[in-house]
Amino acid sequence: MATKAMNLCNVCCLLFYVITAVLAGRDFYQILGVTKSASIRDIKKAYRKLALQLHPDRNQDDPKAPDKFADLGAAYEVLSDEEKRKQYDAYGEDGLKEGHHSSHNDIFSSFFGDFGFMFGGNRQQQDRNIPRGNDIILDLEVMLEEVYSGNFVEVVRNKPIAKEAPGKRKCNCRQEMRTTQLGPGRFQMTQEMVCDECPNVKLVNEERTLEVEIEQGVRDEMEYPFIGEGEPHIDGEPGDLRFRIKVLKHPVFERRGDDLYTNVTISLVEALIGFEMDIEHLDGHKVHIVRDKITKPGARMWKKGEGLPNFDNINIRGSLIITFDVDFPQTQLNEQQKDGIRSLLKQGSVQKVYNGLQGY
Amino acid sequence: MEVTHAVHAFVKTLLLLLLWSQCEGRESELSHVTCGSLLKLLNTRHNVRLHSHDVKYGSGSGQQSVTGVENADDANSYWQIRGKPNRPCQRGAAIKCGQAIRITHMKTSRNLHTHSFISPLSNNQEVSAFGENGEGDDLDTWTVQCDGDHWERDEAVRFKHVGTDVFLSVTGEQYGHPIRGQREVHGMSSPNQHNWWRSMEGVFIQPSQVPLRHDEL
Repeated sequence: MATKAMNLCNVCCLLFYVITAVLAGRDFYQILGVTKSASIRDIKKAYRKLALQLHPDRNQDDPKAPDKFADLGAAYEVLSDEEKRKQYDAYGEDGLKEGHHSSHNDIFSSFFGDFGFMFGGNRQQQDRNIPRGNDIILDLEVMLEEVYSGNFVEVVRNKPIAKEAPGKRKCNCRQEMRTTQLGPGRFQMTQEMVCDECPNVKLVNEERTLEVEIEQGVRDEMEYPFIGEGEPHIDGEPGDLRFRIKVLKHPVFERRGDDLYTNVTISLVEALIGFEMDIEHLDGHKVHIVRDKITKPGARMWKKGEGLPNFDNINIRGSLIITFDVDFPQTQLNEQQKDGIRSLLKQGSVQKVYNGLQGY
Repeated sequence: MEVTHAVHAFVKTLLLLLLWSQCEGRESELSHVTCGSLLKLLNTRHNVRLHSHDVKYGSGSGQQSVTGVENADDANSYWQIRGKPNRPCQRGAAIKCGQAIRITHMKTSRNLHTHSFISPLSNNQEVSAFGENGEGDDLDTWTVQCDGDHWERDEAVRFKHVGTDVFLSVTGEQYGHPIRGQREVHGMSSPNQHNWWRSMEGVFIQPSQVPLRHDEL
């Protein structure tokens, strides 16, 4: 008797749980894989990574792929909008007001461009016969801070789009030679422009926002393409827009691969008796340095893990290499000070003469 | 009674405006031309876009020619707005009226440039595209002349050369073969209706937040 009652209770509880889980709507934070306190940049980064993985074209054997992809789009649409996110945090998915729902296509193409996404195969190979508009390459200047922490750049693309217009137009125009006979044995060669007839198009300027990600560890000259966002072609397809990364020089750090190099000038006193200091890194965190031995000019200190994240695996970091140089006192020493130094340091005269330029 | 009502309404709208202005987070530069943007420039009097290509002048300096073209879908009409030599401007920052900039041709990475050579068709000052990989010399700099604080995307502005003080202009003279129909672009000493330009198609970069601190939690 008791077990039957308990079973019923269990079933009721389970049913209740399932109903609330369903009614509560989707967990957008879980879909994107971010915490509730994630910044807008974290959300964009998570979307961009998952969108590539979950696109239905890439998961053709998974029947749930279109749903997963739609969930991803809905999650990004809500969490990337300040207003909608607030409403969602307070009331769940049901609490969202019926507003304008941008199609997932719009969201996806603002990160990657138009024309769907050709996974794997090169675009050029597939469209050999269709004429293509010009590609646009934009040099995007990037700071070392952005290479370290990543960032998103919003751009507004204003481009001409071919729209249907009434009437016909001349297309495929070419010069042809025409021969006309003026009389017996007399000919005249003239150049004539000959055109075909095509449906009329007009170019109308339209605008949209694109999101370019500066990924952590990105290297100079790497490109981020946006398919179809280049110049239009009246008789064919538009070209692509490519952002080419140009990493700017930094006043404090020099990049070599994933390693960072920097220089520190210390006083002669600090070089001899030791010192303690902090170096502010690219994201503001402090690198603590302690030295209790003598530091020679040109001495180097390696700080593992304090370099840049590796582009292919951001869990691997390079090192920070610090080179010290010594600032000698400006004022000359008097005789008393010279005697003092002689007795303090107890270093005899060295005066070794040698060829320093050939590595002896 | 009516006075108090009016005052009440006024104070309310003032407070609302104050609150609303505080709520502006990151600045949006949707209506401005910003540093690093790529764009096409249209001469409003003659309806042609500033253009360059790998064709050199047959006279004058013999440098790469700069012309005005009628069609709107040529990638050779794209130019990038950059800061002065050795003084890069901050990416995404709106260009101020009076600011000195370089205008770099996208495809050939040469800068809009002018110097004391005569232009081939109209005997004004020759305007060329000069330099390699975006670096030329001191005659690559132009100031943006406009009313107001910043260069608005939908307003016409003038470009005055730093060094020779001429204005970037088109007066309608046309070239023959091999660039048939393209207009001559040159420098003129006086501001007039021929030196108005406005931004058209392009990729306009918005300002980003620099990721300095990771204490956004």
